[in-house]
Amino acid sequence: MDKLLVSPSPHLHTKTSTKSLMRDVVIALLPAVLVSVLFYGWSELLVLGVSVASCVLLEFLITKYLLKKSCTVGDMSAVVTGILLALNLPATTPWWVVFIGAVVAIGVAKMTFGGLGQNLFNPAIVGRVFLLISFPTYMTDWTRPQGFIGGGLDALSGATPLGLVKEGGVAAIESLDYMDMLFYNIGGSAGELSAIALIIGFIYLLARKVIKPYITLSIIATVAVFSGIFWLINPAEYTDPVFNILTGGLLLGSIFMATDYVTSPMSNVGGIIFGVGIGIITMLIRYFGAYPEGMSFAILIMNSVVPLLNKWFHSKKYGRA
Amino acid sequence: MMKTFSIGGIHPSDSKISKDCKIEVLPVPSKVYISVAQHLGAPATPIVKAGDQVKVGQVIAEPSGFISAYVHSSVSGTVKSVGPRKDLAGNNMTHIEIDVEGDEWIEEADLSDTLVTAIPEDNKAILEKIKMCGVVGLGGATFPAHVKLCPPPGKKADCLILNGAECEPYLTSDYRIMLERSKEIVVGAAIMKQVLGGCPAVIGIEENKPEAIKAMAAAVAELQRSAKGYEGISVMTLKKKYPQGGEKQLIDAVMGRQVKSMGLPIDVGAVVQNVATSLAVYEAVQKNIPLVTNVMTITGDCLPMEKQHNYKFRIGMPLSYIAEYAGGIPEKAAKIISGGPMMGKAIANMDATTVKGSSSLLYLTAEQTVRGVESACIRCGKCAEACPMGLEPFLLNKYARNNMMDELEENAIQDCIECGCCLYSCPANIPLLDIIRIAKGDVIRIIRGRTAKK
Amino acid sequence: MTQTIIWTIAILTVLGALLAVVLYVVAEKFKVEEDPRIDEVEKVLPGANCGGCGQAGCRAFAQFCVESSPNLDKCFCPVGGNDGMQKVAAVLGVEVAAKEPQVAVVRCNGTCENRPRTNEYGGYQSCRVKAALYSGDTGCSFGCLGCGDCVAACQFGAISMDPATGLPVVDEEKCTACGACVKACPKAIIELRNKGRRNMRVFVSCVNKDKGAVARKACKAACIGCGKCAKVCPFEAITVENNVAYIDFTKCKLCKKCVAECPTGAIHAVNFPVIKPKPEAPAAPKPAETPAAETVNKEA
Repeated sequence: MDKLLVSPSPHLHTKTSTKSLMRDVVIALLPAVLVSVLFYGWSELLVLGVSVASCVLLEFLITKYLLKKSCTVGDMSAVVTGILLALNLPATTPWWVVFIGAVVAIGVAKMTFGGLGQNLFNPAIVGRVFLLISFPTYMTDWTRPQGFIGGGLDALSGATPLGLVKEGGVAAIESLDYMDMLFYNIGGSAGELSAIALIIGFIYLLARKVIKPYITLSIIATVAVFSGIFWLINPAEYTDPVFNILTGGLLLGSIFMATDYVTSPMSNVGGIIFGVGIGIITMLIRYFGAYPEGMSFAILIMNSVVPLLNKWFHSKKYGRA
Repeated sequence: MMKTFSIGGIHPSDSKISKDCKIEVLPVPSKVYISVAQHLGAPATPIVKAGDQVKVGQVIAEPSGFISAYVHSSVSGTVKSVGPRKDLAGNNMTHIEIDVEGDEWIEEADLSDTLVTAIPEDNKAILEKIKMCGVVGLGGATFPAHVKLCPPPGKKADCLILNGAECEPYLTSDYRIMLERSKEIVVGAAIMKQVLGGCPAVIGIEENKPEAIKAMAAAVAELQRSAKGYEGISVMTLKKKYPQGGEKQLIDAVMGRQVKSMGLPIDVGAVVQNVATSLAVYEAVQKNIPLVTNVMTITGDCLPMEKQHNYKFRIGMPLSYIAEYAGGIPEKAAKIISGGPMMGKAIANMDATTVKGSSSLLYLTAEQTVRGVESACIRCGKCAEACPMGLEPFLLNKYARNNMMDELEENAIQDCIECGCCLYSCPANIPLLDIIRIAKGDVIRIIRGRTAKK
Repeated sequence: MTQTIIWTIAILTVLGALLAVVLYVVAEKFKVEEDPRIDEVEKVLPGANCGGCGQAGCRAFAQFCVESSPNLDKCFCPVGGNDGMQKVAAVLGVEVAAKEPQVAVVRCNGTCENRPRTNEYGGYQSCRVKAALYSGDTGCSFGCLGCGDCVAACQFGAISMDPATGLPVVDEEKCTACGACVKACPKAIIELRNKGRRNMRVFVSCVNKDKGAVARKACKAACIGCGKCAKVCPFEAITVENNVAYIDFTKCKLCKKCVAECPTGAIHAVNFPVIKPKPEAPAAPKPAETPAAETVNKEA
């Protein structure tokens, strides 16, 4: 000991850091990543690799040369964005399209606002929506590439369940088995493949206290109630709640994207309203909109309401009933 | 279901390493320096001068305002000087320097071990004794005890809460006195409860101290059996959560009531006193011993087991003397704290001396205590989740950095109790409390200025 | 197709015209009557909105000037200085007396060398936070804390921290004497002093109120309150109070007698022309001379 260290209290600090929180999110995403790689094979690995690498590289280059700030790559938030973007894309997406998505996600949606903590919209979703609008052919090409296992599973070859409904009505999905959807067999982007893998991640995040359950549960509950009402009224016209929860990236979005710290409300009440909003908008787009699925748009729209929700709803204060 | 406070809180590792170390008595050094500012409020005025002979327990400084307290000599000997000396923060404060000669106490002090259970009937006399013996709150704030025990007219105490939570990690001095002086503490509680008009008294102890809970419950049971005036005293086990020992949190936990913003505990009928204060009240009222001693913990992860101690010290002992006596400052210690690691003060000057409220010498290593580099707020809301007052530190931080006083007041910065939960839990190492503490002072000044004008 | 275009243009034109009328009516109806001179005065002000004048900003100052006209004695814009005030006076058609130009002076010479660090500060880098916590990371509880609150407060980029000394340095060219740094300094070290003839100034670069021995132990360049300077001053410009000397800049005639007399070199003389190698003042001990000389070179 040379000189005494003096600083204001408290003198202890939690072991949790921005980096450890992001690492936990990555760990929570691992089951979904694993399932998608197993079933979609090399092409999925390529999408993941390009996405993560370009997100990290872009953040590094932008912080160092454009913003001339200290490098923030170490906090791992770019890795999370990269993985989420990849899981939101079809496994067959060409590498250069993935790269453009990363440029939009990191370059436009994140760094132009000032980097981590400042962005208004979820970077991965902005990247995805940009690609969806700019390259619709690539983004809706759901051909299943050859995976490492389960080559004969592509019963739905080529379309997402929600896409089928848009085209052929409820009758088109009568052959679907919900147990298949729960575990692995679902058409769509890599992250939609297995509901169970995503739920495992959710439980991990809750157990590690990385996120609170309010947003996720309120989205799922809203979707269930909303679609439940319509389904009960007319089962021939509208899809049922279980189907809606298991498809269209709803679980991926509600567990990993809507709960993003930066772009979700701070208070619990705000979070619940945020979730209800996402649920309703998603279902409106699915039932009445032009796109087969609406999760991404719903999250983006509700992202823009977050500042307002933060202004209106505060945590309950001591002694101020 | 065990009770606890309803909003926020954190769970740092409790690290009560020295909990099995019995209280030892520190020998008196050859010289002591007694500060005249050992309590909240105005510093006392010295009434001795160089050359005066003093005994242990003799008044050497008088209160200089309503919120102030007597200071007594902790040793017998000759006053060498009265003048400025640096306190543990390095700021000048008047100290009375005394050369120690022998250990002669004032005549009225009863130094025997006999437990005096009969409580005097005259409440006025009791209060006067508590005041004359310089008893202050020993839970951290060192608020003069007699002031708290006289509710303002029109307000009545519904419950006396004895704070045995000791929610700060590492500290074990309250735990040790609850084990070793349980009966005295209960007598002190009974005295205070009588002064407050016979309201019930609850001794709140956290679940991680089962032996203390047992000892205190046994002491209460025995005194209720053998003496009069002990009914209505009970022990309550509380869930472990920091800051359970915060006055407002303890009232919420025990009584389920919340003190209004800028209000006092007595507004909801609560009076909170630390167990150590209760012991000081016992000694003052039953034994005529002024508050010149207290118990402090010498601990830290970098200290070997045999160097962990709980010491009964006298006020005015240099901290360097105590550290030396306890076996020296460990090589790995980077920071020394007086008090707990959450709210204690980092010591800048080891030549400073002990005061009534001293509770520890805590050695923390660089790995434990050096703050990480501040990074951008990721709006995770962990600070708001941790805040026991339900505030939103991330928001206050933003407003404070931009000097937005109206917004700060709207968002209740004045309610902050400076417990440190926000800074503790921030994953981005943002110095939330450093900034909020300063802004809180500014806002409270504005509020006071406004009410004063009216 | 053509019809659509025509319709679109027609509707937008009508809509635009309608809204223009609404805007005009509202603007006329809710017009706030204001003295037109306020606008004119505001135009000649620097527009820094620094608050150095004591008003909330330039607009408020302009209003204040107009209200207090014709007597502008209480109005002074430190940024615009005397020239600026002449312009204001011209706009208002009144006379204004010139004020002595001032500059911010840092009254601490507790460099890393003069004032050894006794502990390490690990909290938020802000003088206010540090000052609220304790006396600082040196033995001197009055000196500069070195976290740069003054640098942050200065809107003109006139103060910077010298990494070698750990003390703030004022750029006299840029300093407008707005007083923001004076307010920001929790230790009241920075003072506004008259710029002086040809920018030459003599001041005590210390505010330590400790007794001589204590102050000296904490810092080699501390004022020990010995009073030698006060005795030697022919103009009674120096007073010693609370163990620290202070030079009244309105009385000081820049004779520099005190500088040579000071045993610790706490009195600084800046911007004096360096005339040859100075003959050593016999009374001044060696180590004390060094810091003072350094400062002359640095600030000149």
